[in-house]
Amino acid sequence: MAQKSSSSDSTALRDETVLRRVRQLGSARGGLREWQLQRKTAVALIPLGLYFVASMVRLATSDRVTAAQWLGSPVPAMLTIIFVVTLMAHAVAGLRSVLLDYVHTRARLVVADLLVRGAAMVLGWASVLAVLKLFLAR
Amino acid sequence: MERPLSPFMFPAWYRFQIGSALSILHRLTGIALAIGSILLAWWLVAVAAGGDIFAATHAFLASPIGVLLLLAWSAAFFYHLCNGVRHLAWDAGRGFELRNANRSSYAVLAATVVLTILAWLTVWLI
Repeated sequence: MAQKSSSSDSTALRDETVLRRVRQLGSARGGLREWQLQRKTAVALIPLGLYFVASMVRLATSDRVTAAQWLGSPVPAMLTIIFVVTLMAHAVAGLRSVLLDYVHTRARLVVADLLVRGAAMVLGWASVLAVLKLFLAR
Repeated sequence: MERPLSPFMFPAWYRFQIGSALSILHRLTGIALAIGSILLAWWLVAVAAGGDIFAATHAFLASPIGVLLLLAWSAAFFYHLCNGVRHLAWDAGRGFELRNANRSSYAVLAATVVLTILAWLTVWLI
């Protein structure tokens, strides 16, 4: 049987074409995408996390005006929003992988999953709105 | 005899190994950081809201409990960051040999301590 040759066939975990082939054979559902999301957000969080923590180190003892000015200026506002959204996506992926390992009842897993996603939504949107408010009020 | 169940195999059933200890610590710090993100969102909202909410938040963060939480949070952050970089290297197929894995384990611990101390020195010196 002639096999379509692809340069990425050797790395099955990274290839969408191979994934589709796997799907017909068995249980390859959303896992790969989530695995990739976890890694991609992890890579993004290295510079974003260091930037945010370095900034927090300076703001730790500051008053509200200083903090509001920093969060309201364009670059910190944008990077903080990107940081929080990426953080929430990474946290959901990570917590889900913990839940999938230790919660064995389908109903409990669904409930825990919804709670984690809901909490991430609320925290993420609250943070984004807070930063937007400071940015728009400057 | 009770059948041993994961995740409670360690330390009663498995002997201590630096790799497995750091592995579960990666998860624990990940969970702690996810919980810590509540404080992060709260602080952002408090800065935006101002007034009494910010004053109360600021007072809490400056209190001994608040400082202890921030210290734990920063240590967890630096650990998860350093060990996360190691995980990404493993995903790329590098550093799997036992000798290298053990070495990088201690490197991760050392980097965590150094980065945490540096961060807090910066807080106190500025």
